[in-house]
Order: sequence, then structure tokens, then C-alpha cells
Amino acid sequence: MSRLEDELRQALRRREPPAGFAERVMARARAREREQRRPRWLGWRWLAAATAVVVVAAGLHFMEERRRRLEGERAKEQVMLALELTGAKLILAEQRVQQVIGFSLALPN
Amino acid sequence: MTAARAVRSLAGEVPLAEAADKADFETLVREHQAMVFSIACHFFHNEALAEEVAQEVFLQLYKNLERIESPAHVGFWLRRTTSHRCIDHLRRSSARHEVQLERLPEIPESPEAGDPLLRERLRRLVASLPEKPRMVVLLRFGEDLDAEDIGRVLKMPVRTVWSHLYRGLAMLREKAPRYLKEEAR
Repeated sequence: MSRLEDELRQALRRREPPAGFAERVMARARAREREQRRPRWLGWRWLAAATAVVVVAAGLHFMEERRRRLEGERAKEQVMLALELTGAKLILAEQRVQQVIGFSLALPN
Repeated sequence: MTAARAVRSLAGEVPLAEAADKADFETLVREHQAMVFSIACHFFHNEALAEEVAQEVFLQLYKNLERIESPAHVGFWLRRTTSHRCIDHLRRSSARHEVQLERLPEIPESPEAGDPLLRERLRRLVASLPEKPRMVVLLRFGEDLDAEDIGRVLKMPVRTVWSHLYRGLAMLREKAPRYLKEEAR
């Protein structure tokens, strides 16, 4: 065996870890066990509930938007109808006026 | 099966089915802590980092107690896990921890064997080796394992173990003081 190997054996001898090492490991192991003991389904339940709330809210929002759009379209149709009716009445009135004027012009003085 | 139950079982104290407490795992930690910590400490030449890695190794053991087959298996498992964790840690953060051999000062030509300064320099030299030769040197001279055992721990052929060992020793001899290069009489 060479002197280098002999010195290496001395230099690389086992060392004790700093005081309290085992306690620190145990504390971490206990903490990890507590973490593992927490039921996993609890997390899933919260996630499912949150997803349901989001889906319902999105559905309500979509339905409200659809209702508003239909109402708007209905109002627009009514306005258009009203305008058409008004236009037709105006044409009739104009025709009447023309008739009256034409009749008065045709009368002998 | 709880972790504590498995610990007592592997220690041969009680049958597998009996209940046990956490004191058994703590006993296991105390029994092997010097081995795990020493490998990590000599590998990194950094106590804080060595403790971090050693704690992780024991936590991994706690999680995997069901896989441990016998008390003898614990030592092997811990050695293997520590070695692999050290190498993986170094690979992930090589820039932070690797000591460049060229940057280390020469070891003075002190004729005194057993000089604490010389040993400290040797530890620094070992910690400056590339990861695999470093771990092989550590397991050979720190843990006194033969090439076959080192091969089993590091999952490598015995020839590769010898190759890493020769390479590591050659790199150390380059920087070692002259009297260490001489063969012992």
C-alpha cells in the first residue's frame, strides 16, 4: 500500500454529523408523514367544487348574454316594423294630399 | 404498513404485523448517520451541503422502508442512495461546488505523516476530482469497500471501478507532495 493510500484512509475517515442531526431528520420525517396523512380527496373535492362554480357562472353568463342579444334583436325588429308602418302611412298621407290639391285645382272658379 | 413497523421488522425486533413507534427509525438514523454524512461531506467538502443531502437520503429511506429486505440491506441501500444523490447533486450544480484542481495550492513537502493540514489538503484534493473517480476513491478509502462492492453500489462494472480508481489516484498523485508518491516500506 502506498503512503498516499494510507494518508487517504486517514483523511477520509468517517465523521459524525453536527449535533442534532437525527432530531432534524425525525422532525422532517414527521412533517412529511403529517403531509401524507392529509386526505388527498380533500384537495380533489375543492378542485371539483371550484370547477363546478366556474362552469355554472360561465353558463349563467352565457345565458344572460343570449337573452340580451335576443331582446335586442326583437327590439330592432319592432323598430324596423314601426319605421315601415310609418313610411307606409306617410306615403298614404302624401297621396291624400296630392288628391286634395288636384281636386281643388280642377274646380271652376 | 407504516414506516415505523417496517423499521422494527427490518431490525429483526418484532414481526411485521406488530405495531411499533418512531424510535426505531431514529435508531436506524443514529446507527448510519456517520456513514451517510461522511460520504456526502468528503464528496462535497462542505458540511452544510452534506447535511442537506444526508437528510434527504434518510427521508428517502423513510419513504422506501417497505423495499428494505434486511438490516444488512439498509447499509447497502444508504451507501448507494447517498452516492447517487451526491453525484446527481453535483451534476445539477457543478458550477457552484466543483473545486478546480489547478486552483488548489501545492501541498507543502511536509515529512510528517498524519499532519492535520496535510489531511485537510488531501480532502480538498479528493473533493476536486471528477464526480465518479471521486466517489470511487471515497468508497475505496473512506468506506473500505473493494472494487466489486463499489461496482454494486455505483451500478458499474468492476473494470470501470478500477479505471476510475487509477484515474483518481493518478490525479491525486500529481498534486500530492513528493513523499506521498513513494511506496510505503
